[in-house]
Amino acid sequence: MKAISKSVPKRDHAAKISGSAVYVGDHPTDDLLFGRMLRSTKARARVLGVKLPVLPEGYFFIDKNDVPGDNEVHIILDDNPVFVEEIAEHIGDVIGVLAGTDEREVNILLKQIEVDYEELEPVFDPRKSDVAFFDFGYEKGDAEKAFAEADKIYEEDFETGLQEHMYLETNGIIAEFKDGKMYVRGSLQCPYFVHRAVMKATGLSSENVSVTQDVIGGAFGGKEDFPSILGCQVAVAAYKTKKPVRVVFDRHEDIEGTSKRHPSFCNYKAAVKDGQVTALEIDVLYDAGAYATMSMVVLQRGIIGCGGVYNVPNLKVRGQARKTNTVPNGAFRGFGGPQVFFAIEMLMTHIAKDLQMDSVDFKLKHVAKHNDLTSTSGRFHFPVPIPAMVKDITEASGYYSKKEAYKNQSGRFRRGIGLAAVYHGAGFTGNGERDLIKAVVQLRKDRDDNVEILTAITEMGQGVNTAFIKIVAQELGLPPERVILVPPDTARVPDSGPTVASRSVMTVGELLRRAAIRLKAEWRDGEEQLIEEHYKHPEYMIPFEMPAFRGDAYPTYSWAVNAVEVEIDTYTGFIDILGAWGSFDAGTPIDENIVIGQMEGGFLQSIGYAMMEKMTADKGYIRNNNFSDYIIPTAVDVPNMQVKLHVEDFPLGPYGAKGAGELPHVGGAPAVAEAIQNALGVNLHKIPFLAEDVMDVLRRKGGI
Amino acid sequence: MANEIRFKLNGSEIVYTGNPSMRLVEYLRGEKQLTGTKIGCKQGECGACSVIMDSELVNSCLVAMGRVNGAEVTTIEGYSKTEKFAALDKAFESVSAVQCGFCIPGMVLASESLLASNPHPTEEEIREGISGNLCRCTGYNSIVKAIEIAAEEGSGLW
Amino acid sequence: MVKGIIAKSLRDALELRKDSTFVPYIGGTDLMVEADENKSYLFLHQVPEMKNIAEDEEFIRFGAACTFTEIIKNPLSPMILKQACRQIGAPAVRNMGSIGGNIGNGSAKADSALICMVTDSKLRLASADSERIVPIKDFYLGRKKLNLNPDELIIEILMPKHGLENYYHEKVGARKALAISRVSFAGIMDIKNGVIQNNATAFGAVSDVIIRLDTIDNMLIGKTIEEAKKLRGDYIQAIGDAIVPTRGRVGIEYRKDVCINLLKSFLEVSGI
Repeated sequence: MKAISKSVPKRDHAAKISGSAVYVGDHPTDDLLFGRMLRSTKARARVLGVKLPVLPEGYFFIDKNDVPGDNEVHIILDDNPVFVEEIAEHIGDVIGVLAGTDEREVNILLKQIEVDYEELEPVFDPRKSDVAFFDFGYEKGDAEKAFAEADKIYEEDFETGLQEHMYLETNGIIAEFKDGKMYVRGSLQCPYFVHRAVMKATGLSSENVSVTQDVIGGAFGGKEDFPSILGCQVAVAAYKTKKPVRVVFDRHEDIEGTSKRHPSFCNYKAAVKDGQVTALEIDVLYDAGAYATMSMVVLQRGIIGCGGVYNVPNLKVRGQARKTNTVPNGAFRGFGGPQVFFAIEMLMTHIAKDLQMDSVDFKLKHVAKHNDLTSTSGRFHFPVPIPAMVKDITEASGYYSKKEAYKNQSGRFRRGIGLAAVYHGAGFTGNGERDLIKAVVQLRKDRDDNVEILTAITEMGQGVNTAFIKIVAQELGLPPERVILVPPDTARVPDSGPTVASRSVMTVGELLRRAAIRLKAEWRDGEEQLIEEHYKHPEYMIPFEMPAFRGDAYPTYSWAVNAVEVEIDTYTGFIDILGAWGSFDAGTPIDENIVIGQMEGGFLQSIGYAMMEKMTADKGYIRNNNFSDYIIPTAVDVPNMQVKLHVEDFPLGPYGAKGAGELPHVGGAPAVAEAIQNALGVNLHKIPFLAEDVMDVLRRKGGI
Repeated sequence: MANEIRFKLNGSEIVYTGNPSMRLVEYLRGEKQLTGTKIGCKQGECGACSVIMDSELVNSCLVAMGRVNGAEVTTIEGYSKTEKFAALDKAFESVSAVQCGFCIPGMVLASESLLASNPHPTEEEIREGISGNLCRCTGYNSIVKAIEIAAEEGSGLW
Repeated sequence: MVKGIIAKSLRDALELRKDSTFVPYIGGTDLMVEADENKSYLFLHQVPEMKNIAEDEEFIRFGAACTFTEIIKNPLSPMILKQACRQIGAPAVRNMGSIGGNIGNGSAKADSALICMVTDSKLRLASADSERIVPIKDFYLGRKKLNLNPDELIIEILMPKHGLENYYHEKVGARKALAISRVSFAGIMDIKNGVIQNNATAFGAVSDVIIRLDTIDNMLIGKTIEEAKKLRGDYIQAIGDAIVPTRGRVGIEYRKDVCINLLKSFLEVSGI
């Protein structure tokens, strides 16, 4: 481990553990108006009219007629309206906000509002939807020829379900319009996303909108795109009422009304010749929900990764994100990756089984190597450490001996072990950083020679502030307490891009490192200094061409190998996780504890995704709208999780660091699924896979 | 009986004359600005609102004010002034167990409640002790480790 | 209007209970999930007569306001009850939740009520003017329907002291802690000198009320193990026919299969 990796106290530790950290719901309520959403109760309907009760003084209803700018939330296609314009597109679509001084009164009044609807035919199944927000495709090699020459062709369908972020702190925003300026603050990952969205919705100029981050109680992507929507709604309310307005969701509303991981339906065809997969033809379908929001980028990552960590010479890929009348799906840790990595990992195990090979050995035969072509005909420019990591994890987990031992089991409890190898493309897809984000950071030194870090990156518990401080302090040779870092306010910080895509440390951290080196060189004691650093695109990257999906999709890759062992109770279907082992390569950790904490947390989410977390929309209505109906793991559910770091340095990341945050949410699920299928002796094609699914399998098999 | 609720909050005597059906968590956050007690679900399912009541861990969202009559309530604000907190604080810091922090005040009070009844818990007992406090960030390993460290380093405090 | 009232003695509590607008409140862990500030509660946590755990010749007597934590810690509590209580929620819920509340909320998922059912416990119900003892099986009339007059309170639970040693209990939740029963099962098999003295089963979270099919269970009583083995198939069949799961979040087929599997497992460990 390098010196920088040695863990230090987290900068946000003291305020959080003592309870003094101020989250959006913690600001005093004295002058705030309390806002609640009037939501559509219909999955698709024309809103003919809204009949309000008599509103007492100090109570306001805000809707589409009050939007001073465009009634569109700026995300990608800007199709999500701030407030329903004419047609409500999903249950929970926001028609207006009711704001007033007393929370109880607002709730009473809200129930008295009558909405007149003309119901329209909704679509809930993306397979039956004829609206594709996005439809992409690409090819590599000659898949048609490979299929024609194959010894055997496999075709399978895979499904994954909704996944809810279940951050402990629900979404919340405060907005205030004062002296011609709009001040927005709250639980949000990307201040400049909200900034631009609020500008568009209010018609205010950039300097008249300021967006500040409050302490964030968890996000995982759930506060990436969504706060732009809520931010616009609350800002418009503040604009109309001329008072500060706060909306903090209760748990039901947060689950019913905010984005989730896209459900997927994937069709995979594999051509196998001489025991080798020579071609894949893949059709990816993501359920986007009612509006396009982030689906374009989520889908891109999905179709780029759908071939897994393997070098398959011939590929034909199509991917669509289709509209349904359900709450829009959006960003979630892994960002389009977990769905397809589940599919390819399962497919590989199924082919291996058919060829009577061990699945790990079969996978290793296909793993891409340094300098091999990627799915999009870019290159793996850096070493691929998967074989070494597989060795580590098979040893740590006792993989081979367990797999052998579990071949002939009898009795009530049956065990199984599975292993998955995955990557996560580090940073933005393609040329995003160069063409769209153009990140800027600043270091400001004051007369006392303290140095302040100015970026738009947000701390949400992932430890980025501590990491940034370590980087800057190390380069300047300053003690960390001389480095200042406060939550970003768009009025003060440059646009260093959003806190997403596992880019913060790798990309923005490197800009800070370079800025610190410059500041050190130009250091003048006792003087104010400002150093600004701009993103530079790696020169080695093969330009990414769109819409051909050709070139380097990512500057580098983070890698993971996960093994999971389960014990299944054949009487009750209960799936018990006996052990979970993970090796993760996110480059050099800027702080070992922090990176391990990220890996453990993400790995557990990924395990939950596979065997616990089930959410279904019943005709567009999500009934799993609380912690008792949407089950996430507690401290006793995965007691034996062992995580280690494998370090493959990225020369362009600070001290060799690369993307970390999303990596652990990719491989846990396929490892769980393979363990379950080995315990049950069947092939699995869907997650989540729960006790009821186990019992269905046993019923179909007529016992075990 | 009088419709007056008397209890101790972080060591101070309180006489409450408001609605006895109000949730304790609303009182703590709304009337007392003790916002270290968080609201995650209001259904007793997440533990973010945990406080100590008469030496036991409770979900303050599931406690009506009438139930508080005669009790002694400690929130993170009161607990953070104690020596035991200092031991937990140091242990949590040493393994970077605090991520988003939203579950942490409740988690710390769950740790206190556990250690008060079992000063040298096994790993399994620790996990059981915090099983009502959901954390979505850490995967729990670092929190469990922190409690192990606190039990060892703070030996004699509990 | 008085929004809530705190009883300090049993007499006080029963007197106040005459006003049926007050909802009895012990631990609040069920009531407060759907908290309504307009509701008025009758707080019973400071009624000393409802906090005792004692024994007499025949019964262990649990005051209705005893929390699960208190039951778990008390040496008088039978193991079967302790085991079920340990699996309720998580520590904070067990610290507040009470056995009386668990029974009184009428849920078929109530974990301590399952044990009261399988042990054929009795409930002492009282109003200001009268008192009666009701077998728990007769207390549950239907979905959320209780044999409890508007002026009555559950005061005490009387759990038989003897014959609970050979018990079987399994709770199936969606995870290992903080779980609501998806199916729960308890069984008691009391065998003396090779003859079955008592065979009792109860199934939770399956129907509107906890299922206790004592007339079918009685098939095995008075039989030797060998005789019981011969009856095993008919017995399982009869129980299976009688269990008709109601619709719920968890599938009907799933719950039925699990019930039968756990019943078989119970018989197996009992040597039948």
